[in-house]
Amino acid sequence: MLSVENLSVTFRTDEGIVTPVADVSFALAEGRTLGLVGESGSGKSVTAKALMRLLPGTATLGAHSRMRYVDKAGQAIGIERLSPRARALRRLRGGEIGMIFQEPMASFSPVYTIGNQITEAIALHRGLKGRAARALAIEMLAKVGIASPERRIDQYPHTLSGGMRQRAMIALALSAGPRLLIADEPTTALDVTIQAQVLDLMRGLQCDLGMAMIFISHDLGVIAQVAQEVAVMYLGTIVERGPVRALLQAPAHPYTRGLIAAIPRLDRLEGRLHPVPGEIPSPSARPAGCPFHPRCAEALAGICATRVPEPVDLGGGRVVRCHLHTGERSVA
Amino acid sequence: MLRFLAGRAVGMAVTLVLVSVMVFAIMELPPGDYADRYAFRKYSGTGVTITEADVAAIRHTLGLDRPAPLRYLDWVGGIVLHGDFGKAYAFETSVNAIIGQKVWLTLGLLFVTLVLTYAVSIPIGIYAAVRRGTATDYGLTVLSYLGLALPNFLLALVLLYFANRWFGASVGGLFGQAYEKAPWSAAKLWDLVKHLWLPALVLAWSAMAYQIQTVRATMSDELGKLSVIAARARGLPEMRLLLKYPARLALNPVVSTIGFDVNRIFSELPIVAAVLGLTELGDLLLKSFLDLDMNVAGAILLLLTVVIVGMNFVSDLLLAWLDPRIRLGG
Amino acid sequence: MNDMSRLSEAGALPATPPATSPATPPETAAERRARARRERYYSAGQWRLVWWRFRRHRGALLAALLLGAMVLAGLFADVVAPCAPTERDRAYLAGPPQFPVFCDAKGCSLRPFVHGSRTERDPVTLRLRAVPDPEKRDPVIFFVPGPTVRLLGAIPLSVRLFGLESGAPLHLWGTDPLGRDVFSRTLHATRTSLSIGVLGVLISFTLALAIGGIAGYAGGLVDAAIQRVTEVVRVIPVIPLYMGLAAAMPKEWSSTQVYFAMTLILGLFGWPTLARRIRSQLLSIRGEDYVLAARLAGARPARIIAGHMLPSFTSFIIVDLVISFPYMILSETALSFVGLGLRPPAVSWGVMLQQAQSVQVIEQAPWLFIPAGFVVLAVLAFTLLGDGLRDAADPYGQNG
Repeated sequence: MLSVENLSVTFRTDEGIVTPVADVSFALAEGRTLGLVGESGSGKSVTAKALMRLLPGTATLGAHSRMRYVDKAGQAIGIERLSPRARALRRLRGGEIGMIFQEPMASFSPVYTIGNQITEAIALHRGLKGRAARALAIEMLAKVGIASPERRIDQYPHTLSGGMRQRAMIALALSAGPRLLIADEPTTALDVTIQAQVLDLMRGLQCDLGMAMIFISHDLGVIAQVAQEVAVMYLGTIVERGPVRALLQAPAHPYTRGLIAAIPRLDRLEGRLHPVPGEIPSPSARPAGCPFHPRCAEALAGICATRVPEPVDLGGGRVVRCHLHTGERSVA
Repeated sequence: MLRFLAGRAVGMAVTLVLVSVMVFAIMELPPGDYADRYAFRKYSGTGVTITEADVAAIRHTLGLDRPAPLRYLDWVGGIVLHGDFGKAYAFETSVNAIIGQKVWLTLGLLFVTLVLTYAVSIPIGIYAAVRRGTATDYGLTVLSYLGLALPNFLLALVLLYFANRWFGASVGGLFGQAYEKAPWSAAKLWDLVKHLWLPALVLAWSAMAYQIQTVRATMSDELGKLSVIAARARGLPEMRLLLKYPARLALNPVVSTIGFDVNRIFSELPIVAAVLGLTELGDLLLKSFLDLDMNVAGAILLLLTVVIVGMNFVSDLLLAWLDPRIRLGG
Repeated sequence: MNDMSRLSEAGALPATPPATSPATPPETAAERRARARRERYYSAGQWRLVWWRFRRHRGALLAALLLGAMVLAGLFADVVAPCAPTERDRAYLAGPPQFPVFCDAKGCSLRPFVHGSRTERDPVTLRLRAVPDPEKRDPVIFFVPGPTVRLLGAIPLSVRLFGLESGAPLHLWGTDPLGRDVFSRTLHATRTSLSIGVLGVLISFTLALAIGGIAGYAGGLVDAAIQRVTEVVRVIPVIPLYMGLAAAMPKEWSSTQVYFAMTLILGLFGWPTLARRIRSQLLSIRGEDYVLAARLAGARPARIIAGHMLPSFTSFIIVDLVISFPYMILSETALSFVGLGLRPPAVSWGVMLQQAQSVQVIEQAPWLFIPAGFVVLAVLAFTLLGDGLRDAADPYGQNG
């Protein structure tokens, strides 16, 4: 239902052109969940915002970027071609693709009630007004596990707890009836116990509603719980993607291996943690060649620093971008 | 909500008491008192020599020889209990008679000025923020800086000068010559409205410049907020989005500074009134300060301050109404 | 990315090469230089950072230069101005500005000159006024002798920066109806108006620091009481309040006494805004983690205040100081304009503008309005400078 090809995003900034997303491709089938994982600054959120055309005016999409989405009526839409003021884009936002954000506090406007903001979405995408819209909003609040929704609906965001706000945000996104939900680090700002509840909820809702989901997180552990497929991003490119189990069990890219090694594990308390060495470079100082080579322990001299690795199909739906798999080793 | 309002009301009362003490102190400040000036005025030019004893006698009949705290209580008591502001010396009548309907003229002028200020600055500020970084925004910013730098009374002079050049007529004053002394009628009111725009524009000038900058700054902040992006992500049409989310919050700093704007307008009123020949309280205040008619000056100063304090309260109310976080004590 | 764009805004970073640049050797000389600059940025002190950011604010830089020029003009007014501020030129009453030119209808000269003048009676106002006489030429020369003045109150000098060869005074910006030179008076007025601003700001700053400091540090009842008083001073409209105080100045006071009384009045009631800011700054800083950390580390209160709290908001205070100048200047101008402020023979912008109160005057002698331009420029410059400093003072730029 969604396929993204060669997505590149560039920003004009004072110090020149910055490319936070370069040549990203992935596809998503109906009802499936794709996890996007990477450190902060790896371009996950920019990718998500590009899908909704929510990037600021200083951003431009690369000439070869294609974002193809098949809507409820079965019609294919080229998202990259929609004009910013088009009705089709507004129908897409919310109605076809819903989005929830990391900060549940900041994503609600503080001066309107929860109900006001939910019924607004319902009126826009379902054509329901007044009492009918309100009834649906209450139903959605109940569905996301908010107790006494008839009361909560008239409350202001600041009177709710963090977990409750994120539930309300999910209700808001779902009430417009989207077929795809983009969740941008939805649990990062929450307490660990609440995090688990919200994750559970999202998984359950996804099953009920048959929605597809793009789940963005920096936490591989969280991704492993919700996603069937995962794409690992580093400095704006997807370095490796594939089915979540296979990828976690046999990571092909050194960066993925590093990420997995860096997860603290309860069963190995005595050992030291193994962080990925070095720091993520700023997108304005992108290394040439493979973006990961300055931090890569297995970098091949003379190759990784000069040539950008092309995607290699490893079979089983797995794709990796690394010279270790391109056969360059023999050349060196 | 009620507790919030009650708290504000008590604070307002305390402020008003302190203000009245301060105004009374200012009235007492110039050398000599009412009796001196009264005696001087009454007998000057009549060839009668006034002695200290005469003045003292006047002082005694008027009760001015009593200690200051008692006179303060008299003064405040008169105002609060009878609405009586005492005697004006220059015109040998009561302060009330002099101030009289000028209070309403001044309030009318204030109202028109405020409406003009907000009607201009809020849309322009929002527009500049949305068009941030463009030539329009840049031009508006330059204009608002000029607005801050050009004092209102100089602007008044400049406008008078150009009006004189282009229309060849005097545009000062609040009424045309035919209506200046005429009793109130619909025609006089219309005449007032025709004259009001210039003083209102002059008085609104710097408040406008200031508010344009405030609205632009808040609006720019709000535009980048996640709640705005989130609303856009649910497919809200852009215009409705701008008005419902960021613009609504950009009103907050404007509303919370209403009292400040009134203060600014009243502060400039006397001098603008002098330049434009407005016959209302500001003009009278300046004249009475120059004549040292402190009873009139004190009364006007007190009235203006009461209006400001009142507007502060109104601004608190509006803010609570606009922002649930304040209303619900969050 | 955000951090990086801020760095480059500060002018500390060179433009980085585009991301898609061809492969380069590990570190070129340019890259090394860039890295060195970046490291210099991270290790630069607070004031250096402020300066770097400030330097990029063109308007503020221009404003600083303009104010510098005004200060210099005021300081050296005695020598720069061709005439004394109260000196009357009876041969040139209400005369128009004399612009030095090189050419006129009769041809050109290598030396700049002005035309002579004669006095006529104005047919409308029946007043005497000077009109230019194109028959006479009078060359402009530099460093002409003049009556001895004490420069900066100390150095005796008997020279003026420029004048006319004939010895007649040069009226660059014309004269007022009394024949006083507008240019000379404006320079002296600049000195008076700016000095009142400086003294007023200093007084109100000292008060604000004391009052705001006590309120912010003591808190509780003291704070509540001070807040109440501050509120009272803030609600009374400022200029009418000043008027009331200025009206009380005895008529027989000398202009010097009035000058000091005015600074005192402006200073005494200018503190509330500043005091409020200092108080809220102190209150917010008091709760900061690094202050708590210093307290837990056992630092004495004096050390916490001097070493941790003050440095974090001196820059804000400087900004507040700069932006409170316009209020002082505008208040003084307004009061003098209506005759409640400085009194002649003292000369300030407001005193000068008193002569330009009516449209008739401005039509007949528009040059009397020149001091208004100075008021506008000074206020504009202080505002711009304040804005530039505010952007610069924010150490790592939250609103840059």
